[in-house]
Amino acid sequence: MAIEIRNRLGLADVKSDFMHIAGRKIENIHNELLELEAKGELKVIHITDEHKPIEAETLFGWKKKIPTTKLWHHKSCGQCGNIPGYPVSLLWFMNKFGTEYIDEKNQTSCTAWNYHGSATSNPVGLAAVAVRNWHRSYELGLFPLIHCATSFGDYKEMRNLLVENKELRDEVRRIMHKIGRDLVIPEEIVHYSEWVHVMRFEIAKLRKYDLSSIITTVHPACHCYKMIPEDCIYDKDIYAGKRTAVSTGVALALGAQVADYSTWYDCCGFGFRHILTEREASRSFVMDRKIRPMVREANSDVCITQDTGCTTTLDKNQWIGKAMGYTEQVPVMADVMFAALACGADVYKIVQLQWHTTDWRPLCEKMGIDWKKSEEEYNAYLEKLRAGEKPENLYEYA
Amino acid sequence: MEYDENGVSIVSNDFKKEIFEEAKKDFRYEEYVKGCLNCGVCTGGCPPHRFFDFSPRMVLQNCKSNDPALVWGMMDEYVWACFQCFTCAMICPFLNNPGGVIAILREISVRRGFESAKKVLKPYSRVLLKLTAYGNQLSPDMIQPDFFPDWGPHIGYASEDLPLKRKAIPMPTLQVTNLAWDVAPEAMKELYTIFDEAGVFKIIEVVDPSLYEIIQDIVDDVRSE
Repeated sequence: MAIEIRNRLGLADVKSDFMHIAGRKIENIHNELLELEAKGELKVIHITDEHKPIEAETLFGWKKKIPTTKLWHHKSCGQCGNIPGYPVSLLWFMNKFGTEYIDEKNQTSCTAWNYHGSATSNPVGLAAVAVRNWHRSYELGLFPLIHCATSFGDYKEMRNLLVENKELRDEVRRIMHKIGRDLVIPEEIVHYSEWVHVMRFEIAKLRKYDLSSIITTVHPACHCYKMIPEDCIYDKDIYAGKRTAVSTGVALALGAQVADYSTWYDCCGFGFRHILTEREASRSFVMDRKIRPMVREANSDVCITQDTGCTTTLDKNQWIGKAMGYTEQVPVMADVMFAALACGADVYKIVQLQWHTTDWRPLCEKMGIDWKKSEEEYNAYLEKLRAGEKPENLYEYA
Repeated sequence: MEYDENGVSIVSNDFKKEIFEEAKKDFRYEEYVKGCLNCGVCTGGCPPHRFFDFSPRMVLQNCKSNDPALVWGMMDEYVWACFQCFTCAMICPFLNNPGGVIAILREISVRRGFESAKKVLKPYSRVLLKLTAYGNQLSPDMIQPDFFPDWGPHIGYASEDLPLKRKAIPMPTLQVTNLAWDVAPEAMKELYTIFDEAGVFKIIEVVDPSLYEIIQDIVDDVRSE
């Protein structure tokens, strides 16, 4: 059965396990994954009732199960190194909900930022790193929750390449055996923003501040919705299913305004390599294609992101715009950080906005948040730590 | 190496053919290069096209031309302009993936140790060192004002009293300054085996031999612990 869809940017009003586009059949990869498992080719990390999954719809109307508990946090280099309030806000919510999770040291970077920036890897290397980290989650009996969109895009791609290529599977399996591991693939590759999306109505119950006057503009991450687009969550009630639903969904659930702007589909200018070694390209892109349209067209109070690189690029490159006479500024933070602020998380200790470059204080004041009190308490906390007190952590590390 | 008036290195036709054949042999190539209508939707949506002489339509057209010289013409600086955002792949009506083709061509460029790749990646060595030696791509102590002056005066916040501020992050795995998170040595060792077996270390040896030596010293130290 061939099914015509309007375009790849819009939600298809059909239900089928496959699509025909430009004469090519796009299949739901899960059927093939389960067939390989049945043949003993690989093991699958299944999403079971234990994970208390919530279903969402993807681009073609396929169902995607999002596990909401028993999670293994697969961290992001850029978030942990540069935007620490990003993972902290996520864990803060999980503690509120009593979510079972483990955050541990036994994991590596996905290495995909490096690959897209420098090409100093290859599909075998990328897939082996992915499987290594998935297997660590598997042996703990937990489901991997991917924090970074670069990892998310890469892992979706590696899963598909592994399912479609026996040679790649054989090579990765050989390498896994060398490190005492096996070829495992999760039933779904799940991004943290998808967890936030399916939990958005629970999150909204915790809301402390009125957001009705806050105008948000959402920057969807390329490696979330442009890589393996058929695996990305869409919702007919959000942009009429014409754009990815994550991040926008939680902003709307919290009662904020989500404003449109003409360059919503553009990337952030990160470029993987450019943000580090050709920054004038990133800078120009940020101001001309993202920040100015957000401010001029939407009068945005805050730019909401769903990825590490986007958050960094859009936040850090506004100051230099003044050199070119660009006066537009808008604070940048991830969906989960904005949600945490709205739900009363501490500006400094939890959301950690002090690391951000573009001024976020006007946003806090508009939301009714007393950031000065938070700053004073944080500075006092630093002095206690300096004096030798133990840090107040979100969990005890075993 | 000699260069023509377009800045493309001059090599024999046989060598150009060899490079093109290497690209076509990649198991992803056929998946990425299908029929091209030359509609230009990919280039219309391409972010770097707005700032560089770069067009994903040309990437596809050059590949479809089957002319090794046209593909060779992209191997120097051209392929490094791509942002790897995959907007082109998302919007192509024929499901081509010009960004994926770029990845294949870049891989060949570094695997072969082309001068253009070495030049482009030279400022990238700090990141390569961190990732391959420690398993993290970015660390808090890399955010220094002298390296990111264009990020404004506030960037100094990240370098003052850093150990104390990192200790105040309420996730124990993040309370370090030289890594994004404290990577367990056993995870690093497994990563080294993957890099050995997948040929990643070898790629770095080709593209930056001195960096490779530094990385191997660290790898040896961690492995002997």
